[in-house]
Amino acid sequence: MNKNESVVRLTNVTKTYFMGKVEVEALRGITIQIPVKRFNVIIGPSGSGKTTLLNLLGCIDFPSSGQMEVCGQEVARMNDKQASDFRAENIGFIFQNFNLVPVLSAYENVEYPLLLMKKPAAERKQLTLKMLDAVGLSKHQNHRPNELSGGQRQRVAIARALVKGPKLVLADEPTANLDSKTGKSIIDLMYAMQSENHTTFIFSSHDKQVMEYSEKVFEIRDGLLVKEKEN
Amino acid sequence: MKTLNIAFRNIFRNSRRSLMTILAIGVSAVAIHLFGGYVAQVIYGMQTDFVRDNGHLHIYQKGFFDFGAGNPVAYGISRYLELIQMITHDPQLKDHVLIATPIIKLFGIAGNFQKDVSKTFFGIGYVPSEFKKMWQWNDYNMPSRASRKNRVALSDSDIEGGIIGEGMARMLLLCDQLNIKNCVDEIPEKTIAPIDETEDFNYLAEPSASNTNLEKIDQRPKLDLLAATAGGAPNIVSLYVNNAEIQAVKAMDDSYVAMNVSLAQRLLYGKGEKKTTGIIVQLKHTKDIPWVKARLKQLFAENKLDLEIKDYTQIVPMYRQTISFLFAVFSFIAAIMGMIVLFTIINTMTMNVMERVNEIGTIRALGLRRSGILWQFIAEGFVLGILGATFGSIASVIIAMGINASGISYIPPNYVDPVPLTIVIFQNPFLMPVCWTIFVLLSVGSSIFPARKAGKMVIVDALRHV
Ligand SMILES: Nc1ncnc2c1ncn2[C@@H]1O[C@H](COP(=O)(O)OP(=O)(O)OP(=O)(O)O)[C@@H](O)[C@H]1O
Ligand SMILES: [Mg+2]
Repeated sequence: MNKNESVVRLTNVTKTYFMGKVEVEALRGITIQIPVKRFNVIIGPSGSGKTTLLNLLGCIDFPSSGQMEVCGQEVARMNDKQASDFRAENIGFIFQNFNLVPVLSAYENVEYPLLLMKKPAAERKQLTLKMLDAVGLSKHQNHRPNELSGGQRQRVAIARALVKGPKLVLADEPTANLDSKTGKSIIDLMYAMQSENHTTFIFSSHDKQVMEYSEKVFEIRDGLLVKEKEN
Repeated sequence: MKTLNIAFRNIFRNSRRSLMTILAIGVSAVAIHLFGGYVAQVIYGMQTDFVRDNGHLHIYQKGFFDFGAGNPVAYGISRYLELIQMITHDPQLKDHVLIATPIIKLFGIAGNFQKDVSKTFFGIGYVPSEFKKMWQWNDYNMPSRASRKNRVALSDSDIEGGIIGEGMARMLLLCDQLNIKNCVDEIPEKTIAPIDETEDFNYLAEPSASNTNLEKIDQRPKLDLLAATAGGAPNIVSLYVNNAEIQAVKAMDDSYVAMNVSLAQRLLYGKGEKKTTGIIVQLKHTKDIPWVKARLKQLFAENKLDLEIKDYTQIVPMYRQTISFLFAVFSFIAAIMGMIVLFTIINTMTMNVMERVNEIGTIRALGLRRSGILWQFIAEGFVLGILGATFGSIASVIIAMGINASGISYIPPNYVDPVPLTIVIFQNPFLMPVCWTIFVLLSVGSSIFPARKAGKMVIVDALRHV
């Protein structure tokens, strides 16, 4: 794949939520192509549909209508098992609230996706240690999430998202729960990891700092793509 | 296994709740084990008592069991000593049979003519030395009971000695002479004129060996037993009462007379052939009953003997009734305990699921399948079940040991003397492992419902959950 290829192609994708009898149109026909191996950002005001879009891209939610191709696969009509395996194989998630598994140590949290992929133990160990080292947490590998700071937790989460070498990493406001200094270091880290691992990153953010780094910015508003700009 | 490992850690995450759950399972297990151990002990205790007194099998002339009580003489087994020889020397049986010994059941009238009272009696005649051996039977290692250890037996040489029920003694006005506690001789008001001394039964007696001997002066109270002989004529023998022994069933206590088998034969058969009405067979192990029975039947058929065999559960219907009663109570308790475990686990697991909605969403997003979530929570139920059941088993053993050491005793129905309250959980080797397995399965089963709920969660909703 060269730099101009797309990892994500959406055509006329809509998503409607039903809250009782009230319909909420979170996405109202999005057509978008997101280039591979880049640092992409989706911006937009609160409620504009960023999270909804990322959920669709991550195959944890499915569109109400439209075509969707992620990592070269038609994903809109996958069943639960197929979608799970697809995610395990291709998608890395970084959450706003870190979402580490509390009963697992930093090491085990990072190792977890490799277990889901049924990688052999030796390979798991090697990849996990390498990733912990890359995010600067080798010394904290045996700490449980509650023994780590917010920044450290998000580093573990980044390591967890990247350890399996996914084609696509999705990060929904990864710095929103961090102070700006820590947030910056996290973005630095993600940027470094992205270029090192040649992975496609898609962010959602309100954060000005994130936009500075991004190679491509998509702006959505009221469930519609309103602007697309190359940095 | 990573799933079990994670399950373990999640259980210790909310340790208070898990502890309560484990305790609930444990307490249920304790209840079942203790009651089960008690029931087992009661059943085996009953069996032991019965087998000690009555052996495992009774052999009768065909028809005796149903009709013999009306006319025991008609159902005598002749040449019974040969029959006993045959049983105890049979190469297939001899390693399994401890004792084969005659028993005579008879009835008649017992008179205490010194006091001018008489009463119907129900008598058994046996060989005292062999009965004493039968009393040693203890295949289940039951704790010994004082009253049993101190039991006075008749002796083979004292042919005219006897033991009577306390009620019998009371009615025959022998309380004082036999030193029976809480019993005074009450001289009934005479409504009929006293029988003339010369009119007692003695003139009916057939002269027999001991009677022709010089009458030794016996200090013991004397009873005259009157019964119909094989020939139909009335016969009478004298019995000297050693002591009174209370019998569990009042009707029995009021008419019980135990005597040497020779005396019973003298009474029933006079000078005729000495028979017996039954043969008691005591085995080493109760479990051998079916095939010993089969072998005996075969022997009887080969020798053209018209005999029938009854085992102890047929002779004492109460044994089976007690078992089914206790089993019903046990099932009831087990069902209630099972329900408690069921609801406790469902409750705990539902709370575990609700607490970890976000986590469920996260690991689903990472690519764990629905079934993975399902197994994760079922594993937690499984671990809870194992911990609870194991804790319950250990606690049961400790509590049972405590109870057994405490020396509490009680009087079970149809018993006359206290029995130590013991709980032997291992009496039935299957009780504990079966209970343990059922509790674990129950825990797994009851966690399926919450686990399915967790598996079916919509990922995005779970992730939005705070
Ligand atoms: N599961 C849902 N059920 C009903 N409505 C939903 C659901 N998820 C999102 N919405 C609605 O869809 C719209 C878009 O929401 P979304 O979370 O995608 O916005 P967002 O851009 O991520 O906002 P924020 O910046 O606050 O995170 C909102 O109006 C929201 O209320
Ligand atoms: Mg959002």
